[in-house]
Amino acid sequence: MTAIETHDLTKRYGDATALDGLSLSVPEGELFGLLGPNGSGKTTTIEILTGQLDPTEGTAEVLGSDPVDDALSVREAVGILPEREDPPSFLTPREYLQFVGDVRGFSAADDRIAEWADRLGFVDELDTLSTDLSEGERQRVMLAQAFIHEPDLVFIDEPLVNLDPIMQAEVKDHMRDYCERGNTLFLSTHFLEVAEELCTGVGIIRDGELVAERDPRDLAPDEELLDYFRREVEPAAGDGAAPTPDAAGEPQP
Amino acid sequence: MSGDDVTGTGGAAGAGPGRGGLSRRLLARMIREEWRLQAELFGDRFALFPLVVALVGGAGFWLLTLTGTSAEAVAAGIHGLVFFFGLQVGTIGLVGRDALRDVLGDTTLLVFSARTLPVTWRRLLAVFVVKDLLYYSWLFLAPLALGYAAVALSEGVAPAAVGLLWVTTTGAFAFGVGTSLTLAGVGTRSRAAVAALVAAVAVGVVTGRLDAVALSPYGFYLDPSVRAAVTGFGPALALLVAGPLTFQPVGGGAARSTPNRYSRLRSAIGDDRGITTRTILEVARSSGSVWKVLFSMGVLFGVTALLVREVARATTLDPSYGVAVGTLLGLGAFTTYSWVTQFDSADEYLRYPVAMDRVFAGKRAAYLLLSVPAGLLYLALALVWVPAAEVAVGVVVFPLVAVYVYGVTAYVTGFSPNELLFDTPLFVAFGAALALVSTPLVVAALAHGQAPTTANGVAVGVSVLAAAVGVFLSSRAGPRWHRKLR
Repeated sequence: MTAIETHDLTKRYGDATALDGLSLSVPEGELFGLLGPNGSGKTTTIEILTGQLDPTEGTAEVLGSDPVDDALSVREAVGILPEREDPPSFLTPREYLQFVGDVRGFSAADDRIAEWADRLGFVDELDTLSTDLSEGERQRVMLAQAFIHEPDLVFIDEPLVNLDPIMQAEVKDHMRDYCERGNTLFLSTHFLEVAEELCTGVGIIRDGELVAERDPRDLAPDEELLDYFRREVEPAAGDGAAPTPDAAGEPQP
Repeated sequence: MSGDDVTGTGGAAGAGPGRGGLSRRLLARMIREEWRLQAELFGDRFALFPLVVALVGGAGFWLLTLTGTSAEAVAAGIHGLVFFFGLQVGTIGLVGRDALRDVLGDTTLLVFSARTLPVTWRRLLAVFVVKDLLYYSWLFLAPLALGYAAVALSEGVAPAAVGLLWVTTTGAFAFGVGTSLTLAGVGTRSRAAVAALVAAVAVGVVTGRLDAVALSPYGFYLDPSVRAAVTGFGPALALLVAGPLTFQPVGGGAARSTPNRYSRLRSAIGDDRGITTRTILEVARSSGSVWKVLFSMGVLFGVTALLVREVARATTLDPSYGVAVGTLLGLGAFTTYSWVTQFDSADEYLRYPVAMDRVFAGKRAAYLLLSVPAGLLYLALALVWVPAAEVAVGVVVFPLVAVYVYGVTAYVTGFSPNELLFDTPLFVAFGAALALVSTPLVVAALAHGQAPTTANGVAVGVSVLAAAVGVFLSSRAGPRWHRKLR
């Protein structure tokens, strides 16, 4: 079964093209990483797939629903962790998760909130105003809001930002477990080592175009995802740009 | 650095800027930053804003003189409104980086750079306040004085008095900003101290021990003497100094725990999606709590009561306090709209499985729950000197006008009502929509003495019609913003 399917997805803002004919297929149970330089179209892709933004052209299907025509169904079925967003400053994490439950139309019971707070390590902060939490604690609360309704598919923009090493390890374990149970994760990240360690499939996007797809586990033993990424996103030699480095970091002709 | 900032008095080469030099350079950069921020938000069209203020202000003053209101009464009203505006600006500047990010997106301003630059936050805040004073004095208050000049000079007011008005309204603005700053500053240390301060001032004013006029820049406008300059500008200056001295950045103190109020409030108001509950909690827990709603309505109530009294004194008219106060309080509910949309963004709700019309309905409920009781309280207060029948009309007019204001604001501005401040076309459209309803209501209030039954009937009829339009517009706001955001 396919969790996400897109055909020629395009988004233009006037003359600027943010996404250029993206065709992608992500099977259920995959931990998929969308990689790309800054401004390459990763966030736009997530916003279209979650019904937050309409494409200019192309079609998409997420868990069997169309995010353009049936955005509410898609948003109900998925979890979303946006990049750089904090929980509401003047709510406590407990209140925020209750609010997320209400606005999502399910009751976020105390035991479920406590379970997620325990899993992500913010039990002691449950009744602290979010404005007084550290960046890492806020990120944990945001992770909890993406998973608390136990969706089949979660979109995450930079999951590990601001987390300490121990919490990073725990969140990685959680993401692996989550996908092993048949759920799907769509990850956007700049941390290639995280993608290499976790993802069962990656797509590389450059200037709004999907330029490569690969299972990081298929990389050669002496090849790193960073090398592969560089080859795909850096302009080819002869275009008047810098030469592409090889696996050892040496420039190639 | 021991918490102190770069002074340039020491240093390896002794080449750094002195205290004054550093502050001047910070000020220049903050002014440029403010200009770029507005240009980024609204495009270059915001440069037309001073012209619109002058024109709209001049037209408003002219209309007031047609009713027989004296130029001096208009000047008094301007001082009151500008003081109120200063309070607003001071509050928004002080709710901290989180709220600013909620309003402006992921924005870092120089005022928040104390952690990365060798400059104390106290200096940054002081320079930020000076920047605000200069910025608003030239972009907003100078055009307002020009608009006033066009009318006042024809009324025989001396040109010097117009210049004086600009100086004293700048003082009134500073007084408002300083009051907000100091209350917020004291509030970062002790909320009880804030309550005690407000209570002490209120008691002083009510008992007559504090002469609120003499202790404000308006006192200097009435009596331009050295003594009045000291007593009139002294408190404003003292508050501007006290604010940065007492203020502690939000988040600098211990983590604040709070009991779970969400569930109880949500049950009490029957809010199934939680949007109203969240909004009320955010307003209640931010600087000034729900008191800021009561306070803003109070200032409008006071200014309206003063203007109605002046009109009654200067003319043979016998205006209706109920209709006038009900109308102005309803229009003033706009400030509550800006508070209920200050702490979240419409984009956030696009992540949830909730339609935008339900989001706007939730916001409307919060807006009405906060503004209507506050307005009704002041109308009840008016019973002390206004006949009950007149107040009763105000009780009908006020919430209906508030519903209209909600509908227009939600439809035109969505979650960004502050854009009205500098987006000229938006400001004109919004002003026209409000004038469409407020003009017949003000006329009805003024005509009340001649034909009370007709005036009351017109006021209620216009308000009912306005509320119907407001309900329609707020029902269209969701789909409109859904389309615009996607």
